[in-house]
Amino acid sequence: MNMHKIVSGFFFIFAMTINFGFFYGDPTIIVEHSAFELFAAIIVNIVATVLKLGDKTQLGAVLLATSLVADIQLVASATIWTLAEYVFGGLNPESTTAIVSLAGGALLANIVSVILFISDTAKSKR
Amino acid sequence: MNERIFWIILKRLRAPFLVLVVTFAISITGLILIPGVDNSGHVYHMTFFDAFYFVSYMASTIGFGEAPYTFTYPQRMWVSAIIYITVIGWFYGIGAIVAIMQDESLKKAINRNRFAKQVKSLKENFFIILGYNSVTKSIINRINNDDYRVVVLDKDEEKIDELMLEDFFPHVPAFVGEATSQQILKMAGIHQKNCKGIISLFKDETKNTQIATICKLLNKKVDIIVKVSSKQHLEHFRYIELNHVQNPFDIISKRIFYSITAPHIWLLEMWMHGHSLILRNRDRFPIGKYIICGYGQMGQAIEKGLKEAGVEYALYNINSKDYKKEKGTVVFGDHDDTQTLLNLGVKESACIIAATRDDLLNLTILNKAKSINPDIFTVARENSLNELNMFRAAKINKIYVLEQILADSTYSHLAKPLSEAFIREVRKKDEDWAKIIVQLLNNMTGMNPSYFETKIDMEHMYALTLELQKGTKITLANLRRSRENREDLLHIVYLLLKRGDEIFLMPDSQMDIEIGDELLIVADDENRDDFEYITNNIYELNYVLEYENQNIFLKQGGE
Repeated sequence: MNMHKIVSGFFFIFAMTINFGFFYGDPTIIVEHSAFELFAAIIVNIVATVLKLGDKTQLGAVLLATSLVADIQLVASATIWTLAEYVFGGLNPESTTAIVSLAGGALLANIVSVILFISDTAKSKR
Repeated sequence: MNERIFWIILKRLRAPFLVLVVTFAISITGLILIPGVDNSGHVYHMTFFDAFYFVSYMASTIGFGEAPYTFTYPQRMWVSAIIYITVIGWFYGIGAIVAIMQDESLKKAINRNRFAKQVKSLKENFFIILGYNSVTKSIINRINNDDYRVVVLDKDEEKIDELMLEDFFPHVPAFVGEATSQQILKMAGIHQKNCKGIISLFKDETKNTQIATICKLLNKKVDIIVKVSSKQHLEHFRYIELNHVQNPFDIISKRIFYSITAPHIWLLEMWMHGHSLILRNRDRFPIGKYIICGYGQMGQAIEKGLKEAGVEYALYNINSKDYKKEKGTVVFGDHDDTQTLLNLGVKESACIIAATRDDLLNLTILNKAKSINPDIFTVARENSLNELNMFRAAKINKIYVLEQILADSTYSHLAKPLSEAFIREVRKKDEDWAKIIVQLLNNMTGMNPSYFETKIDMEHMYALTLELQKGTKITLANLRRSRENREDLLHIVYLLLKRGDEIFLMPDSQMDIEIGDELLIVADDENRDDFEYITNNIYELNYVLEYENQNIFLKQGGE
């Protein structure tokens, strides 16, 4: 039992699940995708990224990279939402799809991250 | 190495980042959930963007005011709570980041990186100097003028700071580190091809030995220059086949021997170290009885020199530490001391040498001796360069500054190999020979001539090398023509020619020169310029060489 492993494992998986929660639903209908969920996904993802900072191992570096990808995709998704809402005068199907598909990309990155994390844990003998 | 710094920063950033993210997240969520009222009285909820915008400027204490609409009381209550959370979180985060920037270990890592990079980027040949002090400082100053670069290691941070303040040009990379550590030596570039040598002149000779042994193991090709005077260590160096050992006491002993028995040989040697080429009366050691005060390493070295020179001497075994303990002062000259000097025969003696470890003691011994016998020739050992002025003011006839001697001989070994060879060769000759040479040099090149070292290659003598490559036979005499009027001779003297391992002292002017020969030439600046023009400029060289050919034709025609 390793406290650090529990906390980081929790956040890695939480980031993935919450990201999935936002992504799940018809990509053209914004009501099926909650803004709160996106906000939570961004926060949890950033926390997961911070937890991956400073791990010198090869695996740590790859984990950090996947996490950064997820962050960028999610922040991009939120930025598009804000732009569409305030600058371009409201959401349309195009921007809605962009928001959801960006979150989908982030989800892929998160899945990779979790697979790496689990495989590393499975490999360890203790 | 770079990687390491990067990881240190990242790891330290974890906590501040987490604090920032969490406080921002809580504040934003609260602001979104609490209902507000817009200008027309309708209930509205802040969007994520509004909340993010507001929290961003609130946390950083910029504070543009309440936006987008004036807040209601429930909102204000929440804001007054989160002001404390986020502002404290923000300051903590910024503070932590600034602290990381100023962190000692990070700074060290950055310095280390910079140092390693600087050393790697050195293109010129360089020396690694271990320990920064007045000796190595004077060496650095001189080497830097000679197209060599220097890297300095010292375990004392203050010393390195001092070096940085000196602003050497070209820049001297320096780093705080233990000289006996292999890793640091490697970082200082001991493995680099252009690393010519390591200079270790610590007072602690065991340390010098240790360093020399490590360096020898790390890089066999590198030249190691160490200061050592004890027999035991010398043996060790012979064993590990170290070829250059600086023993200041040995140098002093030889100098004393020569300055008594063959002052002109001594003069030639001192001239190589920057002394003027005139033997003044005050430079000469007097004839008569000598007194040596102090019988440490220096005293023994002097004794050895005097013994070899066959001079009568008396020994006064005075130890500065014991003297201090006994009398509680280092000012020499109470009644007992005067009696001791009289017993030693200071009235009849010609010369007194004060060679203790304490500068003040040396000075007061000589002053006392002078007050008893005003004609006595005084010689002092001076341990550090800092007190030179005091000694000069005391009108001591001769001062041996150990540090100076060490710096001089190390520098000649590094940068003036030919002059070192010259000194070695001259010592094999006798006084009459040296006298003639001194006269010759003074006549040929004016009073107090200077000298320079050069080599016959593309870099130093372009035209001459081209000509030699064609197979033309050129003698040293051929080059000694003035380029203004080739009937005249240049006022230069070839002092030494080195061809491979062979050394020709005062080479015959009819000797053919070859590519790769190294020359030690005496000339003033004007003649040196002329010589360099002739050897580098094809037209000048042809002009000078034609003169010889012309003469040959004339001779042939005459016959």
